[in-house]
Amino acid sequence: MLDSLKRHGRLTQIELAGVTGLSPASVSNIVKELTAAGVLHTSFTSRSGRRATLVSLAHSVGLVAGVHFSSRQLNIAIADATRTVVTHTTLPLALDHRHDAELDRLALLLGDLTESLGGSLGDLHAVGLALPAPIDPRTHTVSTPGLLPGWEDIDIAQALTGRIARPVFVDSEANLGGLAEAREGSARDVSSAVYIRVGHTVSGGIVAGGDLFHGASGKAGQIGHITIDENGPVCRCSNRGCLETYVGGPALLSAFPPAEGMHRLSDLLLAADDGDAAAQRVIADAGRHLGVAAASVCNLFDPERIVIGGELAAAGEILMAPMRHALERSALTSPAGLPDIIGASFGDWAETRGAIALALEHVDVGADTVAASA
Amino acid sequence: MTNPRARSHERILTMRGIGKRFRAVKALTDVDFWVDAGEVVALVGDNGAGKSTLVKVLSGVYAPDAGSVEFDGAAVDITSPVVAHDLGIATVFQDLALCDNLDVVANLWLGREIVDGSALNEVEMEQRTWALMRELSARLPSVREPVAMLSGGQRQTVAIARSLIGDPRVVILDEPTAALGVAQTAEVLNLIVRLRERGHGVVLISHNMADVMAVADRVFVLRLGRNNGVFDVADITSETLISAITGARSGPATTPPEPAENVVPLRAESDRAHRRGL
Repeated sequence: MLDSLKRHGRLTQIELAGVTGLSPASVSNIVKELTAAGVLHTSFTSRSGRRATLVSLAHSVGLVAGVHFSSRQLNIAIADATRTVVTHTTLPLALDHRHDAELDRLALLLGDLTESLGGSLGDLHAVGLALPAPIDPRTHTVSTPGLLPGWEDIDIAQALTGRIARPVFVDSEANLGGLAEAREGSARDVSSAVYIRVGHTVSGGIVAGGDLFHGASGKAGQIGHITIDENGPVCRCSNRGCLETYVGGPALLSAFPPAEGMHRLSDLLLAADDGDAAAQRVIADAGRHLGVAAASVCNLFDPERIVIGGELAAAGEILMAPMRHALERSALTSPAGLPDIIGASFGDWAETRGAIALALEHVDVGADTVAASA
Repeated sequence: MTNPRARSHERILTMRGIGKRFRAVKALTDVDFWVDAGEVVALVGDNGAGKSTLVKVLSGVYAPDAGSVEFDGAAVDITSPVVAHDLGIATVFQDLALCDNLDVVANLWLGREIVDGSALNEVEMEQRTWALMRELSARLPSVREPVAMLSGGQRQTVAIARSLIGDPRVVILDEPTAALGVAQTAEVLNLIVRLRERGHGVVLISHNMADVMAVADRVFVLRLGRNNGVFDVADITSETLISAITGARSGPATTPPEPAENVVPLRAESDRAHRRGL
């Protein structure tokens, strides 16, 4: 039952019975017992006009932190056991950020944030960490050399644990964005989904039955390195013609002459939003390439829904309409139709929320608090 | 107050061949520098490289001995800080120059108070202060708090907000993150990103390569009073920058391009090829 609460955040007793398969009466009894032990918190609400008891994990269960290093920004959020974010902060990052300096800064920032809440690092039960590269789940290292040069060859979870003495869980940003969208966002009502993250880099996460599919070494879903053109430009993964060399941030920005001052994706998005035809065209072309790559993903994996996240997702239909069109042309059709393509519901914070979800999954709620209150 | 920006960023300020000498010491020799709207330009260099002198020439504290300055395409003489301010060049110096005993609102409007007849219009000033702080996503406990009670990052925020009153075209920040903790540095860096989004040209002077690489679009390296390269941040690594600062290598040519031209001879091509796709 605690697992379902960790997964869904807040549920009514009836919903809990549905999710766990227990009878409503036993759910009610267990909730009563755990509330008395201080593990759960109940409040009254109404569902379809009837009074219901809303059950959530108690705040006293503790806090978790979600951390997202993207290519150019660090997002940190601290949330309680109900996944309510209590404080958050951001920090712009250099493109070539490195593990030693960044983890040092992160440790200091986490300390500052917990202090501003009147606590200390010790109040964090777990930290989830999202990184812009596939992570090998066995070794917690970057799976593929070249994708995140400053972070290679170290056990990242252990490196952060060494600094803050809290348990740390690491995964790729696309996986965690997908996890957030599947658990509580745009893909919560479907059983299989693919999350495609388009920003400085292009990557993806595969969610089936509410859980991530990592593959053998964490590389599953790396859509950015699907080959589009055998003779295309050389990619940082040292192959040629990868999707990312056409759709990644630097590729899009280099389409403009340097004098136009198109330095960042935010400039491109702003120009497109202002109605600039060239900016819209560049984004639409990216959408078309994405659609072709998404078609391969659909033929292999057949998801019910495709969720688009990352910085470029803010372009909305300018990106997604051409993507749908390209998908329709290239994917195997079925009577049920193709998967719908929609934007991420958490915007820039999807990956951070996924990191929070990952951390909460590993919090050992029961044992700890029950023992303490006994 | 915000400028919706067109795709082509207009050139605000161009300095050509600036020279400045203090008796026998040549502080600046033949320095070129330019700023476009909506970009963050970092000015880096070793101690004594001439960063502060250049900024003081820009803000009207020193008059240059040689060279020309163009603002919005017209030649100008920045003869005093008042002239610089009237042109739309605002400078936040390292000491911030805030009045510790006054609250945030009083500091922001000091010398430019909004008056209603003969009385101060406190309500209007407070409302506009809040509006500005919200626009900058600044975290302040209250705008009626004496500045002495604020943290280093918050004081920097107040100083930057004050420079924005009068809607300047160029904001110059002298070592804004020196002596700040990590959390406060984050606050200031986010603020610089906001300034850029508002369409101001931002000149950032900093010793911290991580900060420069995080928020700047272009970096000017000064060494011994001369230009030692202009780099596009997307094309370089911190190592390239550090070797340009220390003189281990000199950067590409530094003549300012005409804004209308589409070719800029400033790209470090080898680095660019190396980092393509990232």
